[in-house]
Amino acid sequence: MSGEKNKVRLAVFKLTSCSGCQQQIIDLGDQLLALLDRIEIAYFLEASSDAKPGPYDVALVEGSVSTPHEEELVKKIRENSRIVVSVGSCATYGGIQALRNWMDFEEVKKAVYEKPELIEALEKSRPVSDFIDVDYAIGGCPANKLQLLSVLKQVLIGRRVYQRGEGLCQECKRKGNVCVVVAKGQPCLGPITREGCGALCPSYGRGCYGCFGPMVDPQPGALARRFEDLGLSREEAALRIRSITSWSEPVRRFLEKYER
Amino acid sequence: MFSGSLYSGELSELRKLFEEIKARGYKIIGPRLEDGVIRLGELEGFDEIPYGIGDIQKPGYYRVRANGGRFRSPLDSPKRILYPPELTLFRLTRDWELERPEYEFEATALFGIKPCDLAAIGIMDRVQGELGDEYFLKMREKLLIVVENCVEPSENCFCATMGTGPAASIGFDIAYTRLDDSTILFQPGSDLGVDLLGELTLEPATPDQIETLRKALLKASEKARAGFRLENLPDMLELNLESETYREIAERCLGCANCNMVCPTCFCFDVIDEPELDGSARRIRVWDGCHSYSYAQVAGGHFRKDLWARYRHWVLHKFVYWLRQFGSFGCVGCGRCITWCPAGIDLREVISKVVREVGEG
Repeated sequence: MSGEKNKVRLAVFKLTSCSGCQQQIIDLGDQLLALLDRIEIAYFLEASSDAKPGPYDVALVEGSVSTPHEEELVKKIRENSRIVVSVGSCATYGGIQALRNWMDFEEVKKAVYEKPELIEALEKSRPVSDFIDVDYAIGGCPANKLQLLSVLKQVLIGRRVYQRGEGLCQECKRKGNVCVVVAKGQPCLGPITREGCGALCPSYGRGCYGCFGPMVDPQPGALARRFEDLGLSREEAALRIRSITSWSEPVRRFLEKYER
Repeated sequence: MFSGSLYSGELSELRKLFEEIKARGYKIIGPRLEDGVIRLGELEGFDEIPYGIGDIQKPGYYRVRANGGRFRSPLDSPKRILYPPELTLFRLTRDWELERPEYEFEATALFGIKPCDLAAIGIMDRVQGELGDEYFLKMREKLLIVVENCVEPSENCFCATMGTGPAASIGFDIAYTRLDDSTILFQPGSDLGVDLLGELTLEPATPDQIETLRKALLKASEKARAGFRLENLPDMLELNLESETYREIAERCLGCANCNMVCPTCFCFDVIDEPELDGSARRIRVWDGCHSYSYAQVAGGHFRKDLWARYRHWVLHKFVYWLRQFGSFGCVGCGRCITWCPAGIDLREVISKVVREVGEG
């Protein structure tokens, strides 16, 4: 092992995903450079082809588990890493690709690939935490780089990472945004979505689409009824809430009831 | 209704008052049209105040209308200015030295806030003030308050029930009422207020004007009511702690805490310690609320796990416990929690129903 002395060894892995969350790490820019005083980037293929073997202190995992190979990989990551963080809504909830979890797997393969028989995939796209213990999880499509940085900073001082899991409305209101539901009659997923993005979409006057995943104790049923009051059909309301984190447990439970 | 003297002047005198306050070096914060709503913000000129623009406020509904009418409680309450949503309490250096921020504020005037919000500042004086919140106290001593009495409350207003409006009675430097488009009635409420009004061209209000004002305020006061009364309200609520109404409301409630955030008196906060890469750390206070799930989560458990219990706690704190803690109700009847509730839940209906159930026993 050629580890740099006294530095935290960081590894960044990618599973089924678009690499957008890894881009957020690179996009930290100067702050990433500042991190390098304390962190050795041991494995990060998106940023460097110099891939060093484990063990790692911290593994950031992007992407959902959707192939047998990825299932093996996450198990190895767990064995090789002291702290595992699932980064972004694919790794944490299964991602937008989990929409196929609601469809017939063979049909989906046929619709996408010319030779579906060559495709080696798991029937469902699932979060990393379905396969291994995850120490910390952050949502987002993509993840928010400042939230990611905050997690890394907390890990660096050796404390248990504190993240508020409350609703986006609080962050949105603290920021001083005007509520798009109340002032524009727009459907917004803010009331059931986890804070952490800085209320990005409502800050630009559009409704949240829930990419950070469900907050603690969310009420999707009450929100769906409100969407219906605003003029959405039951199908449209379900579609909005299904969206990016459909395979998260609270959304799943809601959809199973609501769509029946 | 009016213990002080009333003076009348043209609308231009209100402009003159604004300019006089500005000339004396005050930063002026008041209602302005921004992001499609009326909210509190810094005003450069008198013309930024959207007189002639009205708002429509209903449960879970807010729109402005340009074709006249009046605006009511703006989106922001003075809480945003006096008790900011995010505040660094201190910084701890790498060498364990504590650096506390020094708060220095310029003289600030709140111009045209409503009597309900003035009452909310009065409540903050008893909460933040007596608890020694340094930011609040420093800001507060620099504050000049010009309050606008309400003659056209919104559908969501219930200041008359809470005894905070439609006219302000205490705690302001100047109160004014826009009787109509051209006539303003002014009332000084402090020495500074008397001094400022001395710069304007005013006449003592005529008996006719006072009668018009009285009627307008009476009408407003009839409108700005909830379906419950304050008499025995705390006892009634405590007699019906197990009301099914709270559980019914929790079916619609989103637990999003928007009501906590927009409430001019809700003061609960969370504390976040944010470490920095240089080895220092900041302790930050952020607005939180009792509808948050994590709010009642403590080491070893959770004492309000169910949403209905969190909703009930909010009601009981405002209308029962606050009296014991701070000697007044915790609600001023501004209606923001009704307007800005994304689910359109009407607090007044909830309380009325819980109280009614006691009678039906």
